[in-house]
Amino acid sequence: MAVRTIEVRERVMARNDLLAAEVRRRLAGAGVAAFNLVSSPGSGKTLLLERTLEALDGELDIAVITGDVQTQNDADRLARHTGRLVQAVVTGGACHLDASQVGAALDSLDLASLQLLFIENVGNLVCPAGWDLGEAAKIVVFSVTEGEDKPLKYPKMFRVASYAVLNKIDLLPHVRFDLEAAVANARAVNPALRFFYTSAMTGEGLPEWFDFLRTQVAREPVW
Amino acid sequence: MHELSLALEVGRIAAEVLERESAASVRAIGVEVGEDAGVELENFRFCLEAVLSEAPLAGAKAVLLPAPGDSLRLAYVEVDDGGPDD
Repeated sequence: MAVRTIEVRERVMARNDLLAAEVRRRLAGAGVAAFNLVSSPGSGKTLLLERTLEALDGELDIAVITGDVQTQNDADRLARHTGRLVQAVVTGGACHLDASQVGAALDSLDLASLQLLFIENVGNLVCPAGWDLGEAAKIVVFSVTEGEDKPLKYPKMFRVASYAVLNKIDLLPHVRFDLEAAVANARAVNPALRFFYTSAMTGEGLPEWFDFLRTQVAREPVW
Repeated sequence: MHELSLALEVGRIAAEVLERESAASVRAIGVEVGEDAGVELENFRFCLEAVLSEAPLAGAKAVLLPAPGDSLRLAYVEVDDGGPDD
């Protein structure tokens, strides 16, 4: 037998990162600001997106890529608010979106007429942290019905995110949730994290969130 | 949960190496896993074994190599050229 050892040293994420770089290049070329929304299941991502589309669709050109695993539910809800919705091809049981799925989804969007793209990732605070989708930034959504120690339990996700939306603040009087501790925990793993405090249900805090999105698309498209 | 995706990607890279090297089979693969790579080792090992039970990698053994930081890479592939025994 002739056995030999070949040194490879190839990063497992190398191919995804290459595809993500291509997605980023396409988005930048068309002047599209893309945000990767990550959260645990039930944090209110879809309702936040519905409210955002209700308020801003018409003012801004927005598209959504959604990655619900087992159902059409999120896609059906979002489709009521936008004609520019792409459901990523997600196989049953998948725990995250990857850059190839986003690249394929971009093919069915007219990027030249877009300003803002939301990628609604699979609800999971672990796996999506490792996959670059070519987004401008990851936005982690978490809610006051979760534990305030969530940033400490899932530090990687809070570290790779640039923004945090703390949602369901209308429920604060009814739940045992220490808002200051939650923010301190998040800043302990990522001091640069910028917070939004919202209730997608009542609309509280949404104007700040909308203003932020407006500033993100204020740039002139790069042709 | 994402360990299966990672294992499949390791398998894809290893199969590429096998083809590029025109070797007959893969005997072992070494995968560097950083302590902060966000990989659950036992789960990853299980997924790698599943990936390594199918052609063209069938029969290969997975060796997990501890590494610092969040490194996650296919470190080496041990191939068999299928020649006669020495």
